[in-house]
Amino acid sequence: MTQSTNALEEGASSTTPSPLTNGILDITSPSNPLALSVSNSRQRGVSSFFIQEIYSHDRDTMVRSRPDILDSMSTSASSSSSSPERAAYDDDTDFFTAQRNDSESSIGVASLRDMTMSPSREREYRVSPISRLPPELLIGVFTKLSSSMDLSSCMLVSKTWSRNSVDLLWHRPLCNTWQNLESVIKSIREPGGYYPYHALVKRLNLSNLNDRVNNGTVKPFMHCNRIERLTLTGCVQLTDEGVCSLIYGSRSLLALDITGLDSITDHTLRAVSENCGRLQGLNITDCSKVTDDSLVEIAEHCHFLKRLKLNNCSLVTNESIMAVAHHCPYMLEIDLHNCRQVSNESITALISRGRQLRELRVGHCHLLTDAAFLDLPKNLSFESLRILDLTACHHLHDEAVERIIETSPRLRNLVLAKCKEITDRSVMAITKLGKNLHYIHLGHCAQITDTAVVQLVKMCNRIRYIDLACCHRLTDTSVKQLATLPKLRRIGLVKCQSITDKSILALAKANVEPRAKPLTQSLLERVHLSYCINLTLQGIHALLNQCPKLTHLSLTGVQAFYLREDLINFCREAPPEFTEHQRHVFCVFSGEGVNRLRNYLNESPETLYDTEGTMYDDREGEDMDTDHQVAGLMNATGLNDDDDDDMDEVDGGDGSQYELEGDR
Amino acid sequence: MAEMQKIKLMSSDSAEITVDRDVAERSVLIKNMMEDIGEQAMTEAIPIPNVSSQYLVKPLQETNLPPQVNEAVLNKVIEWCVHHKGDPPATNDDDADSRKKTTDIEEWDQKFMQVDQEMLFEIILAANYLDIKALLDVGCKTVANMIKGKSPEEIRKTFNIQNDFTPEEEDQIRRENEWAEDR
Repeated sequence: MTQSTNALEEGASSTTPSPLTNGILDITSPSNPLALSVSNSRQRGVSSFFIQEIYSHDRDTMVRSRPDILDSMSTSASSSSSSPERAAYDDDTDFFTAQRNDSESSIGVASLRDMTMSPSREREYRVSPISRLPPELLIGVFTKLSSSMDLSSCMLVSKTWSRNSVDLLWHRPLCNTWQNLESVIKSIREPGGYYPYHALVKRLNLSNLNDRVNNGTVKPFMHCNRIERLTLTGCVQLTDEGVCSLIYGSRSLLALDITGLDSITDHTLRAVSENCGRLQGLNITDCSKVTDDSLVEIAEHCHFLKRLKLNNCSLVTNESIMAVAHHCPYMLEIDLHNCRQVSNESITALISRGRQLRELRVGHCHLLTDAAFLDLPKNLSFESLRILDLTACHHLHDEAVERIIETSPRLRNLVLAKCKEITDRSVMAITKLGKNLHYIHLGHCAQITDTAVVQLVKMCNRIRYIDLACCHRLTDTSVKQLATLPKLRRIGLVKCQSITDKSILALAKANVEPRAKPLTQSLLERVHLSYCINLTLQGIHALLNQCPKLTHLSLTGVQAFYLREDLINFCREAPPEFTEHQRHVFCVFSGEGVNRLRNYLNESPETLYDTEGTMYDDREGEDMDTDHQVAGLMNATGLNDDDDDDMDEVDGGDGSQYELEGDR
Repeated sequence: MAEMQKIKLMSSDSAEITVDRDVAERSVLIKNMMEDIGEQAMTEAIPIPNVSSQYLVKPLQETNLPPQVNEAVLNKVIEWCVHHKGDPPATNDDDADSRKKTTDIEEWDQKFMQVDQEMLFEIILAANYLDIKALLDVGCKTVANMIKGKSPEEIRKTFNIQNDFTPEEEDQIRRENEWAEDR
């Protein structure tokens, strides 16, 4: 599974500015010379300035049957181009949505208010105090409205309200249903429209309708030349013809996502390189026909590229990547997952030349060897690099890991899953990351022992996510240590078959000890214990009650569970592709299922353990009162349903293949 | 530590109000002014009329613009600043969260904003002028909440707004924005 991982974390680290602070306050601020000069000119003059500025590019295609409207529109058009976020329905799923820079680029000159106050206006103010708000503040209010329904009401209130809300509404037209899409297209095509809607669309996301969208569907959008974000994820019927019709003339395009459009060829990407010089984000995951020919051109023409995803683009070679390393100095994130022709020199170049590079994913680039890192310039340190994914780079050894840690001291996420050669020596190197390390994946690094894990936990106490699946040498000693991590949210111990209830009880207890704050609760959200065959119901019950935030608990192949019909009721459906046997042992609780399981266990404790005679006696030692308290807390926290795009243990009885979900 | 410095502010109707420096500096405008004019700010009252930035460039006597941040409004703004004096600067986490629930307002702020519309919009204007982002935010959210779920006609009533569309225009806009009436 490819990682859409960390989008959340990454997103959080970048602020999304509200248009208010960005465009507007600056404008009214005394330190802004632009504001002064503009505010001294007369309103009328300013308007024409706006029009020229805003509509100059497509003067030919613009329909301007209503000069008065256009004129009055100018104020709002400029203000809204500071990319208002209509928060609640951010349905964009592209990987660059969260970044501020992409959306900031089109900040125009904000609108101003009239400086003089006529008596009639004063009267108006008294009658309707809201009329005092200048356009930028009215827009500030509209920005807080999260539903397009509310915005469409605003559009009908009065002319002032209308022209100050239309941009927000059309910034990202809602194409979540076919009917809506048809309605949007109709308005865009309408020659006598009240507003020039086609010029207002800044974001277009058709991924919700990806099974129906074809070349004919997107044609009407060809005049929407101000689109900044185009998300066509999974619209598999689209070909070069359709996508190109959207690309031609789209000089404002900042981000393009054509994930999964497998008929797309170099033709489309060449159009992108010729038309979209401001492009910052490109996601062509699974566009397997794309070759170096067009990607080199992209690198040469789109210098501002910051984010590039080429997952599974199997024709891509070092030639493309070297071009990117040479021509795109602002690169922040690059994902080459499963670009199997890419080798050492590309990786060395990307890291050593991309001084801002923050995220590098090269999972399954199986040609990589230690040299990719050993060849990094000796005297440099890559302070920006935060995320490094080396999943299944089989040829890496401890030397490479040591070098990585040495040169990238601020790594926060490190994925070394299935790097089978690495040993405790690598883990010891990793401990040098100290507090910087938040996320570590060492699944299938089977040589790792308790000694290394204990040391890792001691040195890196900010770890939030750790995966040690199939590290079969680990015992309760490791887990007891892991349980002391104060910020731990996710832990993966699939197939760590030596661990017992002792581990689970440690996880359940560690965080409720009153050593820090009195109300410290366990933060554990996701716990993966599949094929930890020694676990019993009692241990899990305690875990459930001490971890109120738990939203995911996997226990596939744990006999104490999958044999219990009554408990399986709360388990979620096995994925359809599973075999009979896989279904039989499948046991994953998520979202509400976790709560229901917990409640069930709490409600009838006396009968529960009957089937497992050994448990019965222990029950008296348990404090039922705390159970109730915890259950109460549970309800208060209002858990969401499981929204993770997790991939569960896909595992047959043979235990050969499974994957853990990516973090989010 | 020395005692907290006091600052004098002067409202548009010439009322002088003394506040702690850290309270006044919730306003980015005042903070910047203090940095610009330095010690002088401690002794003389800082005038807070709500006018354009023009005011700050031209000599005082030249401006004949209507005063807006009067004593009542200024007091109200200061009340807010005092209550929120210790607020940590907005973190990224908060930011991400506020994107989800745009119109959530904390209880104290909700009560604070229970004022007549005239005062509400004065506060918003003052917050904008004084550059107090969090207060501006609360103000805008408050107004947004008054709009939410209402029909155009109900909105007009709420804010006493004149409908200046012809029926034909209204009809056209409604038709062209039909898609937005989903949800």
